[in-house]
Amino acid sequence: MKAAVDERLDGLRGSAPRLTYSARSLAALENNPRCTLRAVLDASGSDKAAIAAHAGFPTPFGQSPFAIARGNAFEALVKANGCAELIRVLRETLKLTLPEVAYQDLNDVGGNASPEVRCTRTRQLLVNTALGKFPGTLYDHPMLRLQVGGHTVFLEPDLVAFRIEDRFHVVEIKSFPIIDDQADPAQVKAATTQASAYVIALRAMLAEAGIGPDAVSDTIVLVAPKDFTNSPTAAFVDARKQVATLTRQLTRIERIGDLVSLLPEELTFDLAVDEAGKAQRPAEELAAALDQVPALYRPDCLSHCEMAFFCRSRARACASLDVLGPTVREQLGGIDTATMALGLARGELTADVDQAEMAAALRHAARLRAEVLGQPGGAGAAA
Amino acid sequence: MVWSMSDPLDALETRISQLRRAIRDATATGDAERAAELRAQLRRAERAWDTLVDTDDASEETRAPQSAPALRVGGSMLPAREHVHRVLMLLGVPAAPKLIVSVHDAFFPGELTSAKLSSLRRDEERSYRAAPGSRPYYLCPALAYDLLSPVRALITVSTWTVEQRIIGPLSPRVDYLASAIRVAEAVQAAAGSGETGPSPAALRLLWRFAASIPDAAPTGPSSHERPVDPRQVMDAAGAELQVHIDADRADRAAAGRRAHRLTDAQQLFGTPLGDVSKLEAEA
Repeated sequence: MKAAVDERLDGLRGSAPRLTYSARSLAALENNPRCTLRAVLDASGSDKAAIAAHAGFPTPFGQSPFAIARGNAFEALVKANGCAELIRVLRETLKLTLPEVAYQDLNDVGGNASPEVRCTRTRQLLVNTALGKFPGTLYDHPMLRLQVGGHTVFLEPDLVAFRIEDRFHVVEIKSFPIIDDQADPAQVKAATTQASAYVIALRAMLAEAGIGPDAVSDTIVLVAPKDFTNSPTAAFVDARKQVATLTRQLTRIERIGDLVSLLPEELTFDLAVDEAGKAQRPAEELAAALDQVPALYRPDCLSHCEMAFFCRSRARACASLDVLGPTVREQLGGIDTATMALGLARGELTADVDQAEMAAALRHAARLRAEVLGQPGGAGAAA
Repeated sequence: MVWSMSDPLDALETRISQLRRAIRDATATGDAERAAELRAQLRRAERAWDTLVDTDDASEETRAPQSAPALRVGGSMLPAREHVHRVLMLLGVPAAPKLIVSVHDAFFPGELTSAKLSSLRRDEERSYRAAPGSRPYYLCPALAYDLLSPVRALITVSTWTVEQRIIGPLSPRVDYLASAIRVAEAVQAAAGSGETGPSPAALRLLWRFAASIPDAAPTGPSSHERPVDPRQVMDAAGAELQVHIDADRADRAAAGRRAHRLTDAQQLFGTPLGDVSKLEAEA
């Protein structure tokens, strides 16, 4: 059964090499779990950026090089001189005791930076620490491993996982500021989601050695610049909810077969790349293939999914309310498109039983709008 | 108050007496060229020794005025490796290129950039392998306590003992505190010299150290207007150092015993990663 699903997924991907999940694509699972298109593309390991570009919707800006450089510079600053700044911050906020300063660099193992070697070393050190055989505190860039849908994913917490009083805490170093103890909620959420993938991976690693999930705290330590300075500060972020959601989504990946079996047998997203590296498949054909998989567009897809521009154009084309975001969508429960909403407001469409209440509200809103704008009658008011 | 793990001065003195003996041998066998080369090395080792004695004096009791100015004389024309060596001798512990550059800017004349540093280390190893022992000292990477492999971006001097060049789990913090003490001493020495006092870069460097050591920076109202007191930094760093020092020494000594089994080149430049499974067996 499982092999058959893998075969189907390979078919969907076509000739392109398989891309593994990353912390980013795992975080997307939590962001938009109901999107079938994203689930199928990710599970099959397809190159979403290449597919979107070939279908005519290239992502115009990926991750900003300036943001990445800034992030790296801040991380280097925090970790410089044996994590001097980080130790200060953790002592202030987390009451880390004086002797807890042991530092392990896991960026490479004796000059060997391959993920397998680093992962082995990470597991060895962390398991020994958990068993109390090794007095570790700070672990710089450990390499964790997670099985997602039967495939190994290496996750490298861009951070230090560390231990306070016999519990591991995932520390996420981010360069967005915490101003007056407040940070941009969207940024914090993204950081937390990413960190919850690390929590899950860390727990899985310890579980192999027979250590329970309690050894890893589901509270994330977020280290970020304080106010308008460059000096770091730390805050606890509760990630219980996101860890739970992500765990559920990961088990759902195992059931990707259910989704795939609903798709047409011959469907593929193969770009038919020739030797010169140019995609030969006609763009219309590819777009048609993509259209066969239901997508659930939400405005915040733009910040984490490569297919977002493609999906937005499709959602706009059918006047879907998805384009307006979840707030509008929830207000207009039971109504899917802007055309239908306007039709009901103008009284041009007859509402069925489910929509009756919503239709009344819409007509009332249209009347109010007309009154405010001083136009006679509600029906003529175009939105 | 001075804290130095197995004194670099001792190492230099051993080196100096070795060189003297070698010169005598070379003259006895009539190898004038070799003798001349060894003499040059001897002079360099002696200069290093002088420099070191100066800084140590300064920190000891007199806060001798000659320290900083003496170091400033004619230093700008030295090659980069000499600059780095001088900084490392001041700090007395393995240091990252960034810290080396900051300390250099704070206390010494001439220009030193991190770009120069990265090429330097490769050259050092090449030079050593071409003609081992032909230079009085080499700049080499620190060694990881577990694998005895080179530690990324921490530079040491070959004249130090292997224990001094090993990085254990606690060593990054221990070395940080030790360099804080050395920097505070150098600032105090410069302040005592009366001429110009410590440079703004030196005060800034000291302030950065003080900020991340408990009780090292002045507290209370208007604390950020008052300058950091080098004395206070030394005391605070010394106090925290006491917490870690014994465990760290034990780690380094254990690793040092294993390192003595390696070849000379491996003791200086580390061993490449052999087999991770061996490590696992040990753990």
